[in-house]
Amino acid sequence: MAKQQTEVRDLQEGSYVMIDETPCVINSYSTAKPGKHGSAKARVEGKGVFDERKRNFTQPVDAKVWVPIIDRKQGQVISLDGDDMQVMDLESYETFTMRVPDGLDPSPDDEIEYLEHESQRKVV
Amino acid sequence: MFPGAVTDREAAAYVIVGAPLDVSTTFQPGTRFGPDRVRLFARSFEDYDHHTGGHFSELGVHDDGDLHAWDDAEEYLTFLGGKLSDIRNEGALPILIGGEHTVSRAGVRACEPDVFVALDAHLDLRAEYDGNPSSHATVTHHALETADEAIILGARTGDETEWERASAEDVTVVEPNELSDWLASVRDQSLAIDGSVYLSVDIDAADPSVAPGTGTMEPFGLGAREMQAVVRTLAPACVGFDVVEVNDRDDGQAATLAGKLLRSFVYQHAADT
Repeated sequence: MAKQQTEVRDLQEGSYVMIDETPCVINSYSTAKPGKHGSAKARVEGKGVFDERKRNFTQPVDAKVWVPIIDRKQGQVISLDGDDMQVMDLESYETFTMRVPDGLDPSPDDEIEYLEHESQRKVV
Repeated sequence: MFPGAVTDREAAAYVIVGAPLDVSTTFQPGTRFGPDRVRLFARSFEDYDHHTGGHFSELGVHDDGDLHAWDDAEEYLTFLGGKLSDIRNEGALPILIGGEHTVSRAGVRACEPDVFVALDAHLDLRAEYDGNPSSHATVTHHALETADEAIILGARTGDETEWERASAEDVTVVEPNELSDWLASVRDQSLAIDGSVYLSVDIDAADPSVAPGTGTMEPFGLGAREMQAVVRTLAPACVGFDVVEVNDRDDGQAATLAGKLLRSFVYQHAADT
């Protein structure tokens, strides 16, 4: 299982949360006080870990939310093919193809660090 | 609910949020009652506006209720700003009802206008007031952290430092006796306002005889018709709007004017955009 449940109140800036079924990193967390007749609410603003799109939600602080389990892994570049590169995970030796991100100019044998959630991967 | 604001949130073109913040009022408090007063005294208005031919209840206005206010103004502004950003991201225009003028900072942050225009008796250019950097007397100072330019209409009071600050290139002050000429120049386009506008109506821009229900009255102010002319003229360029500083210390004059200016804004913005 690549996600676990928590309460909104336990989230913090920099941590991960699922928003619209998409793993996001939280870049803003603010709370509204309840007063005598309201309920405390939190507004969470995040950015998609893999698609970088802005998403947010406002929910009571005791609402349940899902936190994605995102692994940080080490890999080695095996070969390059245009905009794609073959990468081998240095722990499982599994190989897979990744798009070369903008600003990265890898060579074979380079070691990279990447984030993985289910079948999505992103170079750190 | 603000009368006539009958549209669902998802379909709204305008979303009203009440922000009853009342923590830094320096003379007569009571802005915590502002949003409710404005809604109450708007009950008597006709739905139809003969100037634009619009029916308020058909213009896509939603009332999202109040964001309960608490003592920490900075924390409140952060949450309120986020709420207003959500409204903008959904493609609607946020309309704030204050509350003290401090709440405009959240509106400006969320709407990121090029120009901050305030109808206000006060310059509000202090960096702090009585040691409080979040005071209602610092609104224009903070608005200039986001906007490139501030235009203060109807201003007639400030301390020496504020008037000095107001002489800088990024601030324009139009005193009450200059307002009609300024408006005429904007209308005939001999004076251009460059870019998007956030319009903030501090009800104390009006003369105290017109709107006594406000925290810091200042004589020799604007008439109700002058304020409506400003709202109508600037509405098409606006990305956000608020009306603030109404309290409960009159028989409804300030709230009535505030509610009517809010409606004038919506009629005109809807007609011209």
